[in-house]
Order: sequence, then C-alpha cells, then structure tokens
Amino acid sequence: MHRSNRIADFDDPSFDPFATFESATQSGSGEDPYARLAEMRRQKSVFELDYRELLGSPPDLTMQGLPKYMVLGAADIQQVLETPQLFSNTIFERNVGLCFGRSLTVMDAPEHTRYRRLFQKAFMPSVVSKWGDTLVDPVVHGLIEGFKGKGRADLVREFTQYYPFQIIYRQLELPQADIAVFHKLAVGLTCIVVDVAHGVEASQKLGAYYALLLDERRNGGGSDLVSTLAQAEIEGERLPDEVLVSFLRQLINAAGDTTYRATSSLLAGLLSNPDQLDAVRRDRALIPAAIEEALRWEPPVTVCPRLTLQPVVLDDVQIPAGAEIDAMTGAYNRDPARYDKPDRFDIGRKPLRHMGFAYGAHVCIGQHLARVEMTRALNALFDHLPNLRLDPDYEPPQVTGVNMRVPAAVHVRFDA
Amino acid sequence: MKTWQCLSCGFIYDEALGLPQEGIAPGTRWEDVPTDWKCPDCGTGKADFEMVEL
Repeated sequence: MHRSNRIADFDDPSFDPFATFESATQSGSGEDPYARLAEMRRQKSVFELDYRELLGSPPDLTMQGLPKYMVLGAADIQQVLETPQLFSNTIFERNVGLCFGRSLTVMDAPEHTRYRRLFQKAFMPSVVSKWGDTLVDPVVHGLIEGFKGKGRADLVREFTQYYPFQIIYRQLELPQADIAVFHKLAVGLTCIVVDVAHGVEASQKLGAYYALLLDERRNGGGSDLVSTLAQAEIEGERLPDEVLVSFLRQLINAAGDTTYRATSSLLAGLLSNPDQLDAVRRDRALIPAAIEEALRWEPPVTVCPRLTLQPVVLDDVQIPAGAEIDAMTGAYNRDPARYDKPDRFDIGRKPLRHMGFAYGAHVCIGQHLARVEMTRALNALFDHLPNLRLDPDYEPPQVTGVNMRVPAAVHVRFDA
Repeated sequence: MKTWQCLSCGFIYDEALGLPQEGIAPGTRWEDVPTDWKCPDCGTGKADFEMVEL
C-alpha cells in the first residue's frame, strides 16, 4: 500500500492502540455492571468510591489523587449534569485536555456556550439529514456488498466496526493514503487514560496533520467538514485554530467509536428479540423507537465525570471541592423508578427521556447525525439481507464493558 | 403550527406534537409553553430557541 508522507505513525509502529483502548473499557471480572449498580441504588444514591475499582476496570491514571464519588440516583444524576456552575467539565482537562486539546468537552460556560453554537451549526438536524444520501448510504451499501453473498456474517467485525469511521473519512475528504495511520493515531489518543505517553504522541502527530489540512483548505471554498468549520462564523467570530483542531481530534472517538458501539448494541437488542426484529422489518416507521430504546438499554457511554468547584451536599453526602463526581448515566437509563423492567429491550415503551446521549449543556453534539447513521444502517441491512437472524452456531451476542459498552460479535445468517 | 429549534443542541419543539412526556399537550403553541421551561436535552431556556421551517 502506498504510505503517505504527510502523516507520521507512532515512533514504535508496532504499538497497538486498538487493543490498548479496548482493555481500558472492559471489566476484568466480566461481571454485569448493571446488576451491581441496581443492587447498590436500592441502598442510596451517592457513594464515596471509584466506580472503575468497584466494577473491575483499570484505574484512570489521569484522575489519581482525586476524591471520587459515584452518583446512581436519577434525580441526583440530573442535578449534576444540569448544574455546571457546581459540577464542572474542567475535569476533562486532565485526560481529554492532554490528548484532544481545548475541545468543547473541557470547557464550561460562557466559553463553552459560544463555541458550542458555532460547532452545532454544522450538526443541526437540517444539515445532517442531507448527509444520509451523500455520505452514509454509499458507505453502508458498499460494506454490505462485501458480505451479502455469503449468507452469514459477523455484523460487528464486518460492518459496524467500519461504517461510522468511513463516514468520517468522507466528511473530512481524507486522502486514501492517509487513512490507516490517521485512524491508528485517532484511537491512540483515547489510550491516554492507561498510557499517557502514547496518548500525547498521538495528539501531537494528529494535531500536526490537522494543521496541514487546515492550511490546505482554509480558503479553498470546499464543502468538506474541515473547510466548513474553518469558515464557520457567528456574529463575525471564527473558531480559533486550537479549538478547531481539538474538535477534529475528538471526532473519531466522539463520533466514530460511539456510533460503532451504539449500532452494535442496537443489532444485538433486535436480533435477540425476533418478534421485535420482525415488527421493525415489516414497519420501518418503528426504526426511531428501536434506536431510542437501544440508546436507553445499552448507551455506548455509561458515565459522565464532573469536577466539584466548591463543597456540595448531594443525597446528604458532604463532598469537598476538587472531587471527581461520576454521574452514572447508564444506570439512569436502567432505573426501575423511570422504566418498567428496565433490563428488558422493548421498543414498545412509552417515550421517556433517556441519557444515551448524556444530558445538559454537553449533550452529544452529533446526536442527530448518529440517528441518521443508525437509521440508514438498519434500513440497508434489512434491504440487502433477507431473513436476517442470529446464527445458531454461535453464542448470542452479549454487550460488555464498564464505561463504554459493545458486543464483541453479532453473528448472523441471512438468505444470500 | 410551527417548529422551534434549540440553538445549543438542535432539539426541535413541534407545536403539533407538543411534548406529552414533559406534560405539554399536542397543539400547545410556543408562546403557551411555560416561560421557565428548558430544553429537555441540554437545559437551554426558551429565549435561545428560534423558529425553523421543516
């Protein structure tokens, strides 16, 4: 393969960021975190502990030394996420700030509000709905063409693991020769919580690459995402380069990895419930309900950390300033006081707000695009793979992980 | 019937649909939505919504 001289690989090219990142999200014990969290929520809402240690995942090296509190009660989770003046996003300066830079994630108001609106303009529903035809469909149909004649597939390893990332490459109009190293560096960024050196190296190299793309495209009048964001203005203000590059650094993780996980869990939920699968296949108007239920049942990200800016009392627990507060949004989505039989995947539920895209000022900026992508992906799978069903030769899919969740495989059969 | 969009997160309030899960009946006009109502996704106030054509 032709290798680009525009983008630099890790100094040690044998470093495998994909395996390192996956290890950081998993539980060593394989225990279902939701069962443990449900049992604890019956006792109280706020616990002084590190959820990672509780649930068997590796410690976050960037959060060492902070007092840590886990919040499980729905009302307290909501309060944490809607009170940024007490519960600050600046906690992300310790990890995301090191690898992505000054992205929206590390900011509080008023800076966050100003930049968020500039970025959000590029991801409004009216904008992203147009990408369904131009960006999403060519990718999902192309991938399915690769296996539709086989009669069986692992939809994770052959489909969901690729499609959101390929959409991002198209959004960015990346040269083909740059893509392999680009993706490796982008995943390398997220290793920062367990491997700071490689996270920082990836950040520097991807930052240099984006600076090159910005130079090439700033005044070119192009319609790709880099050009669009470089030219975005509100009331005469443009995005500073540092903020723009930091946003772009975060794309693979925030837009690619999450959508891969959410779509995989959606497929696991539907295929494990054939009656619901048949209902959606027959009536595609049910797809939005299936997507919302999948995001409630198995949100790709299950925790929103915040930093206390002053001493606070939550659920009668005294919490000092400078503490890590982990709002367990995945547990919010499984609260039996909000959802009947919350562990069951049920697309017929009455609509009720979930936190699959988080909540509050930092709610997912790409949620409207994610819904377009998942809708197009599911329609394409139904269109191309008649009689789609789980493959009885394999174990049924099981969604695993602590702070980020995904099924390792979704083996299916269909009529070729 | 009109639609209103949150400038911070893109949430759309559709007067025809209302927001029954938040206690706002279908057909409720924007001016009749309580002044202290906040965007159910991001918490932004009514002042930061704008009317949009869908």
